[in-house]
Amino acid sequence: MGYRTYLLRRAFYALIVLFVILSFNFALFRLMPGDPTSLIIDPRFTPEAKALLEKQFGLNDHPIVQYGKYLWSLLRFDLGRSFASQRPVRQELMERLPNTISLFLTSFVFMAGIGIAIGVFAAARRGSFTETFVTGAGLFTYAVPTFFFQLLLLMLFGYYIRIFPIHGTVSAPPPEGFWPQVLDRLHHLVLPAGSNVIIGFGSWALYTRNAMLEALSQDYIITARAKGLSQRAVLYRHALRSVLPPIVTLVFLSLPGLVTGAVITETIFSWHGVGRYLIDAVLKQDFPAAQGAFYLIAIAVIVSNFLADLVYGLVDPRIRVAGEQA
Amino acid sequence: MRRGRNSKLFSLAVGLLALSLVAPAALAAQKVQYEKTGPRVDEIIMPIITESEAQLIAFERGETVVLPGLTKPSDIDKVKANRNADLTMNLGFHMFYLAFNMRREPLSELPIRRAIAHVVNRDQIINSLFKGYMLPLNSFVPPSSPYYNEDVPAYDYNPAMAKEVLDKAGYVLDKATGIRIDPKTKKPLRKMTIYTPTYEVAPTSAELGKMIAEAARSVGLPVEAQPMDFNVMLSNIDNRDFDMYVLAWGLDRIPTFLYNFFHSSNDVIEGYNTPGIRIPELDAALEQVYYAKNEAMAKKGADEAQRILSREVPYVTLYSRPYIDAWRKDMVTGYVPMMGYGAANYNNKWTTLNIRRVDGPGGTIRWLLPENPESLNPLTTTSAYSWEVLGRLYDGLIEVDPNTMKDIPWLAESWEVGTWSPEKGKTGTKITWHLRKDVKWQDGVPFTSKDVKFTLEYLKKNEVPAYQSAWQDLVKVETPDPYTAVVYFSTESYWHLYHANAAFLPEHIWKDVKDYKAFQPWLEPHPTVKGLTKLIGTGPFVFKEWKPGDYVRLVRNPLYFAAAK
Repeated sequence: MGYRTYLLRRAFYALIVLFVILSFNFALFRLMPGDPTSLIIDPRFTPEAKALLEKQFGLNDHPIVQYGKYLWSLLRFDLGRSFASQRPVRQELMERLPNTISLFLTSFVFMAGIGIAIGVFAAARRGSFTETFVTGAGLFTYAVPTFFFQLLLLMLFGYYIRIFPIHGTVSAPPPEGFWPQVLDRLHHLVLPAGSNVIIGFGSWALYTRNAMLEALSQDYIITARAKGLSQRAVLYRHALRSVLPPIVTLVFLSLPGLVTGAVITETIFSWHGVGRYLIDAVLKQDFPAAQGAFYLIAIAVIVSNFLADLVYGLVDPRIRVAGEQA
Repeated sequence: MRRGRNSKLFSLAVGLLALSLVAPAALAAQKVQYEKTGPRVDEIIMPIITESEAQLIAFERGETVVLPGLTKPSDIDKVKANRNADLTMNLGFHMFYLAFNMRREPLSELPIRRAIAHVVNRDQIINSLFKGYMLPLNSFVPPSSPYYNEDVPAYDYNPAMAKEVLDKAGYVLDKATGIRIDPKTKKPLRKMTIYTPTYEVAPTSAELGKMIAEAARSVGLPVEAQPMDFNVMLSNIDNRDFDMYVLAWGLDRIPTFLYNFFHSSNDVIEGYNTPGIRIPELDAALEQVYYAKNEAMAKKGADEAQRILSREVPYVTLYSRPYIDAWRKDMVTGYVPMMGYGAANYNNKWTTLNIRRVDGPGGTIRWLLPENPESLNPLTTTSAYSWEVLGRLYDGLIEVDPNTMKDIPWLAESWEVGTWSPEKGKTGTKITWHLRKDVKWQDGVPFTSKDVKFTLEYLKKNEVPAYQSAWQDLVKVETPDPYTAVVYFSTESYWHLYHANAAFLPEHIWKDVKDYKAFQPWLEPHPTVKGLTKLIGTGPFVFKEWKPGDYVRLVRNPLYFAAAK
């Protein structure tokens, strides 16, 4: 079996996984107790008005009919209309996706970049105060509850050092002109993205440090040193290169964050993202909204895993060899 | 149980609140001054800030002039510490209650329900859970309503009385177990459960359920609180699978909610008569309310219904939430406290018209929106946050006096409520609206009776669920002239006056809308007037922009009929 067959097989598995997830997605919400109209606690909303709503929502159809409509709609990427807002779910998601992507990408690039760099730096100075400090700081920031740290930032920059906005993605209203608007957006990103970086870089640093330490104890590193290569060459050309495949995989496996969002960060900084949308939809039993968000997430997870498999297959020939032997 | 307790408790609570707030001058009992013209600012920017700490900080920083609907005692205390803050407090149409399932033994027995009513210590609940920032409620209609009957007997906190009621009814205490014996079965009473939301979702409700359960156990009633997922709880209530539960209602000034909650016809699955109370004399009183020919008849029916409900105890009402709003008094003035709704609510037209900057006329104010509006389609959204925006774009035919809760002519100069005969032997309601002649839609087109007719017929044709009360009994609308609309209903009820008082739609915009659910008027440019969208009303502010999740922007309506001169 060649690399092409390996990819096709992976793609086929991915489609099966997607189908299973979508089916669970449909069944789970309908198995939940209650229904979306029972959450309307308003004496003016009589049982007759609720029955009308149920009819409009299509909840009176037989479950098989609902399931058929659901799959057919998803195939066309028509995510339906939110029960709560009556707006197209796709429109609502598209409204939020750029915010979630900008927050995730900014956070992720800095978090992973700084984390990996610090991890390599710490591994190169094993046993030193620097390594102890970096490891301690990484563990500490990793362990601090996100909401607590972000609330602290909110208080600090809200009350005492009033240099950053504490809510939203833009000023209300934003400044005129393209570049002032770009700067305004970046200004609003500082606290949410910055806090994500501080909280998240530790895990990347620790992972990289551990992987590097393991690599540095391997025979081929001893050989490289014996050959008289410089510390820099040993570190970057030999050790780091050998730990890159798992790190790259980890990067790909983190990509679903692009669409899942960071619920706590979005909540604390009033950031209009997908994470809160998903939580609200589940709490309100807004089936189309929750199904739409989960559909997006399922696709993101499957595509990321597929890409990870693909990259792993490229960077690590053993994967293909194992596949061929199977 | 004794008379007059309601008013005493009410006065006491108001007094306590008055002492605790910064601005006792704004208390509901005092008459507020306001103008019926406005608006007095050029622009309202509504930043959307969803996190409560960030809301407080934004208020502190002057990024919003109002912090509406404060409920957490810690937040109220923080705002009180701000010397630039002014707090307004108004009695609300809110009711938090404990409901009994009267279909189930032993809660079907009146002495059990009365005993539980006597062990509820409202003062303790309010002081320990809410630091005094709630009003004890011991009636089925909140004291802020014109239909509140203060002479209805109420249940004091009196554990000794609870024991006496149970002893007299034969529920003897088994000293070995501490549980009372059911005189019918001669066995200890079964365990009874109070459903509450979980501590994570609603900590005060969960704790309150626990406090009531403990109090009931202290008189030998085996009651336990059971926190559960909110959806599961609602599902159980809908299916009548409960003993007791705690929940809140947001009510309004029209007393028809009594009919919805306690008439036997609503004792159906998913109906609001969750206790399952079925008493012919109560039904008669409630029908007198629901099908009242006039306000006096409704008042009489409501008084009688409250008396019967107090006797039968299907609910134990616990507390009512006052509307507490914080204002930056160094930045704005002119806000109008209003009974039932508070100073900052969209139902309060008078704050929208009267609020102004302290540094002079015009200018911009920033008004907090605590959640993103779900939609700005007036026919589909039921979200209060959407209506915080829409409510400032639309006007009613009638508005409400903030002091008396009485009707004030607004888009309608006057009206008559009469009867007609839809068919032989039947009487229906006929409402004649005489509209003002100087009202224009925000695009300059005159507002006429054709818009009233179009709106009501559009709602009926499309069976719009949110406006079911407006169309379900609607027969026809006649427009004898551009400023007179005669609306005919098939049933006789004074309340049709308010059912017809919907958010009216401009016919020239909506007549081409085939699917009202898909219509997003705020996203479509106005066909003739540049700078407007299809989201237009007759109200004091014009919609300009909604950046979802960030802000909404409204500007003064230059064509407003009630513009300040």
